[in-house]
Amino acid sequence: MKIVVWVHADNLSPQQPALLRQPGAPAIFVWDDALLAEWKISLKRIVFIYECLLELPVVIRRGDVVQEVCDFAREHQASQILTAASPSSRHRAYCRAVAAQMPAGSRLEVLRERPFVSVRKAPDLKRFSRYWGAVRAVAMQPGSNWD
Amino acid sequence: MSRDMRRSFSTRDELVAYLAQEFPAAAQISSHVASVRGGRSQAEQRLSEARLRDYASTRSYLDGAVTRLSPFIRYGVLSLDEVRNHALAAAHNPGEVEKFINELAWRDYWQRIYAEIGEAIWEDIEPYKTGFPASEYANELPEDISSGTTGVRFIDDFCHELATTGYLHNHARMWLAAYVVHWRRVRWQAGARWFLQHLLDGDPASNNLSWQWVASTFSHKPYYYNLENVVRYTGTRYQGNPRDFGHEAFEGSYDEIARRLFPRIDLSETDRERPRAPHKGRKP
Repeated sequence: MKIVVWVHADNLSPQQPALLRQPGAPAIFVWDDALLAEWKISLKRIVFIYECLLELPVVIRRGDVVQEVCDFAREHQASQILTAASPSSRHRAYCRAVAAQMPAGSRLEVLRERPFVSVRKAPDLKRFSRYWGAVRAVAMQPGSNWD
Repeated sequence: MSRDMRRSFSTRDELVAYLAQEFPAAAQISSHVASVRGGRSQAEQRLSEARLRDYASTRSYLDGAVTRLSPFIRYGVLSLDEVRNHALAAAHNPGEVEKFINELAWRDYWQRIYAEIGEAIWEDIEPYKTGFPASEYANELPEDISSGTTGVRFIDDFCHELATTGYLHNHARMWLAAYVVHWRRVRWQAGARWFLQHLLDGDPASNNLSWQWVASTFSHKPYYYNLENVVRYTGTRYQGNPRDFGHEAFEGSYDEIARRLFPRIDLSETDRERPRAPHKGRKP
């Protein structure tokens, strides 16, 4: 089974879970033209991200993210795409679109990195003080221990 | 022709010139480049140099022992888990770095909310608690703010710093955000969009929710400050006659400032700026 890795800007570490799972697999990063047009970020942000990318084993392209990722997978005749999880709703929508375009029998797998804290009961997010009260004991321990 | 973008550059200037050509709209917004470079090796160096045990006592000062790790954390070059583990390993006892880890937790908190509400992060989570409805705030950022020509010295300095370096100390972010929302009565979304254009660590969760905290749409009350607070945390930069700096609008006690900014409501003594501020969370 051939596998490719899809790297996005919420996880540009060489130790991110998708790159760690499949070292040496072809990997791609796509500059999202739609996002760039919407956010209008300045050059310094692009330079910083690009410098991060230059330390990663990725092909860098730009355009329509879903299309580019699917094309890349086809180029490599991949039946699996690995990517790291992101809290971004845009990334989740792109994941759904990529998965929908993949041929039958192939799949997209979204991998999570080690969390900052893992607690059995979802913490109350109404105010930070409530959240911190729920996670403090775990957060002050190394690793991602369960409470 | 290959669709792949270039990966090989002999100098940083060559890289910057290439990117300015590839992304002309970004260069038009601002062609400045930050001195800090991206990448894991830079991140690891910063982490190893961080003065984490001095962080708690000095972080509110512009020249305090802040780590400037936020751009690397924002892009996942460093994970919160590994930064926390590094901090605990570097401390003689966990209490020394609890404040730092608490600030890491702010980022985790913002991210969890973002994962839950998605694009609603651009909407007011709660009503303003300033006495003014959202409709009384301007939708667009005034040009004198984006160009740093308000005539208020410390505000203009921070505007220029933001545009040229992509970095602002957290306290400066709070002062600038409160100026935009409360002194100029501009909706926080306009300021948040502006910050996202420039901040190297700009991410919608930490950025927008911090703006909402300042605005009071995600907190119990608005964040505001006075000149004494600015002078205290900025070294010698703004000492002297406030009129020489255009700082008159920030003079006075917290109660006086509150009466001027929020004449329709009564903010008690406890509403003044507290020593620790939630806005700090996303930028340890």
